[in-house]
Amino acid sequence: MLSRSAKHLYWLARYIERTENIARMIDVNLELILDFPDDHSLNWKPLIDTLDINDLFENKYKKYNENNVLNFLFEDSRNLSSLNNCLEMSKYNIETIKDDLPKSANIKLNELYDHVVGKKISKIHKRKKLLHLTQIVSMTQGFFGAINNNLSRGYEFEFIRLGRFIERTDMISRIIDCLCISKSEKQTHDFSTMEWLSMLTTLSAQDAFRKVSKGEADREEVISFLLKNDSFPRSVYRALLIIEECLKNLPKSKKLLLMNSKIIKKCERSRLDNYDDIKLHLFLENLEKDLSKVDLKIQSIYF
Amino acid sequence: MNDILKIGKDCKREMKLTWSKYELSKSFDEYITSKRTVRGHLKKIGNFLESLSENDLQELDSATKSAIKSLGINFRVYSDEGSEERSWPLDFIPRIIKKKEWNLVEKGLKQRTKALNLFIEDCYNDQNFLNEGFMESSMILSSKYFLNFCKGLKLPNNSWAHISGSDLIKDEKGDFNVLEDNLRVPSGVSYMLENRYVMKRVFPDLFSHYGVSKIDEYPLKLYETLVQASFAKSKNPEIVLLTPGIYNSAYYEHSYLAQQMGIDLVEGIDLIVKNNVVYKKTIEGLQKVDVIYRRVDDDFLDPDVGNSKSVIGVKGLIKAWKNKNVAIVNAPGCGIADDKAVYSYVPDMIKYYLNEDPILPNIKTFILKNKEDRNYAFENFTNMVFKPVAESGGYGIVIGRNIKKDDRSIIKKNILKDPKNFVAQPLISLSTTPTFRKDSIFPRHLDLRPFILSGKETYVTVGGLTRVALKRGSTVVNSSQGGGSKDTWVVDA
Repeated sequence: MLSRSAKHLYWLARYIERTENIARMIDVNLELILDFPDDHSLNWKPLIDTLDINDLFENKYKKYNENNVLNFLFEDSRNLSSLNNCLEMSKYNIETIKDDLPKSANIKLNELYDHVVGKKISKIHKRKKLLHLTQIVSMTQGFFGAINNNLSRGYEFEFIRLGRFIERTDMISRIIDCLCISKSEKQTHDFSTMEWLSMLTTLSAQDAFRKVSKGEADREEVISFLLKNDSFPRSVYRALLIIEECLKNLPKSKKLLLMNSKIIKKCERSRLDNYDDIKLHLFLENLEKDLSKVDLKIQSIYF
Repeated sequence: MNDILKIGKDCKREMKLTWSKYELSKSFDEYITSKRTVRGHLKKIGNFLESLSENDLQELDSATKSAIKSLGINFRVYSDEGSEERSWPLDFIPRIIKKKEWNLVEKGLKQRTKALNLFIEDCYNDQNFLNEGFMESSMILSSKYFLNFCKGLKLPNNSWAHISGSDLIKDEKGDFNVLEDNLRVPSGVSYMLENRYVMKRVFPDLFSHYGVSKIDEYPLKLYETLVQASFAKSKNPEIVLLTPGIYNSAYYEHSYLAQQMGIDLVEGIDLIVKNNVVYKKTIEGLQKVDVIYRRVDDDFLDPDVGNSKSVIGVKGLIKAWKNKNVAIVNAPGCGIADDKAVYSYVPDMIKYYLNEDPILPNIKTFILKNKEDRNYAFENFTNMVFKPVAESGGYGIVIGRNIKKDDRSIIKKNILKDPKNFVAQPLISLSTTPTFRKDSIFPRHLDLRPFILSGKETYVTVGGLTRVALKRGSTVVNSSQGGGSKDTWVVDA
């Protein structure tokens, strides 16, 4: 397989998965605001914090308010992770490998692109914003559905899966971080079981969580589920296992497998009951760094 | 009630096509004789078309269009405003050629291509044809397509232009003539194959009337030709197709052919030359490449020898080729024989190299560098077509009778600035074939591009790509300039 094809497949998957996760993050925040309409301490800054793009943001905007943050995350061309840019990059990456992928996948991406690019988020009515985000999420899943159902298992499939789950692991970590920062900055409320559960909903994790933990739920239980559950595909641990599976199916992956298994072990050893918000944040930051090393290694070995 | 129905039926018949209303012109029509009868071997399809109502015709047209759209058969057109992707234009009325007639064309094309390949090799080696005075040496040696680094090189099977496409036209008498030979990177073969694929889906009932010769073996034959071009002894040489990238107007074809042959479609950045060996970059590391079917022009192949700013080529590629570590198909330097002035010497080449009489006639060509030819061409301006010798795609062609009297001197002046760059040919009235336009069927001019493969043996596609000028009276068939296409049937009749 050509290195260039592998690279395009990998980045195609990363950008589409990123689209989904950013949409989910925005969703989390919009829902939180609906739950606490009078709480002005709730703000939009954590979203920008977790994506590590504050400098870029402050270059253009003064206030971290809903309008500015949404504009920045949706359509700002200087923000490389804006939904617009993610989809432009997806289109760019699929262009030369289109013929290696099922036609239905290309159609799904076109639909998603038309749904998002060129629309101004500020022009979308408040009532329709959540729906708009839900649609983005369901369209990205339509794309991966087309891949899962129609693409033969081989190197193409593995590079898509690899890109998707590396991106996902990174983004779950950021989303957890985002939730906890919101929580700690918001002193007036203590999160109740219901509030924790609603967060799980935005990660499509509520049903899965309920199967392993019934009754009252607290921070530790929820975060440990998102970090360490071994069967839910939107948990960090499970995503790492899937990355391991991909690597096993690829050539020259010995070193990568070693790096990945170290991350898996760190995850297993983490003691969430002992972590306060700062420790948790550091743990997550460390996880993101490890992942970025894996990503660099993938690039140097295969592309 | 009955009466109304009857009238309705009659009305419908009125709407039907009748050949008696078909607009014939001076040109040879391949379906209809000057006496407005359907030619013998076309009776079945002629009658069939006549039985169709306007509605039927429109249905067939939209079925064709939607099949092409859903198959994603596209091509890219460039203009001053940028480029756009367009659906491939296919007319559903086939162009039909009798097998007996075709066999002779096929023989003629094989003969021609063999002679052209021998000529190219001669030019880069002993230059006998030039030295013996059959042609002025300067025509070749000062051509921008003459590449010094090819001198002294011998290639397997004497194949330089492994893949070529000759443009044929039918004259007023209905005989095939060669209009030009495309020996650099001719395109269009994928559309020939796709046209057939679409026609079988849209018009299956027609195929049952005729024994239409199959054409789908082309990708296999092409693959064999590429294998035979290899310098390496291996039975399974590593072959890639080198494309300039997605913005090339023929990218669709590049991707199609690579897929059909199961070879990698690579861009310049996917290849690297180390110690004069070409490798492709794969996820498992570097892998040696034996044959490159390139769809990149000579000048852009290697920044070391051609255009130094080329980003679509591969640094060091030519040196690797000269060391016979990789085969380049078509070989660099083929362009010397793809020139409208050199074209006029092909009959001489056939006699010289093969000691045979040319089977397919050339169009009379006036070399405007020669004063006598030039004077004749200028005196007969309105009966002439003026062509730049080294352009392709129909660009730069001037049809004498379309030029206003006042503007003729401008054209002449322009030619006089550099007469060796131009030739003139008498305006041939291209043959026509019924073609669907809007609501009915009209005669439209067409040409034919068969593709010829030169390996151990020479192979000619059965038929080729028929291109049709869609505007009334126009002879511009190029798809980039609004031309359409037809499926070409070679039939047993």
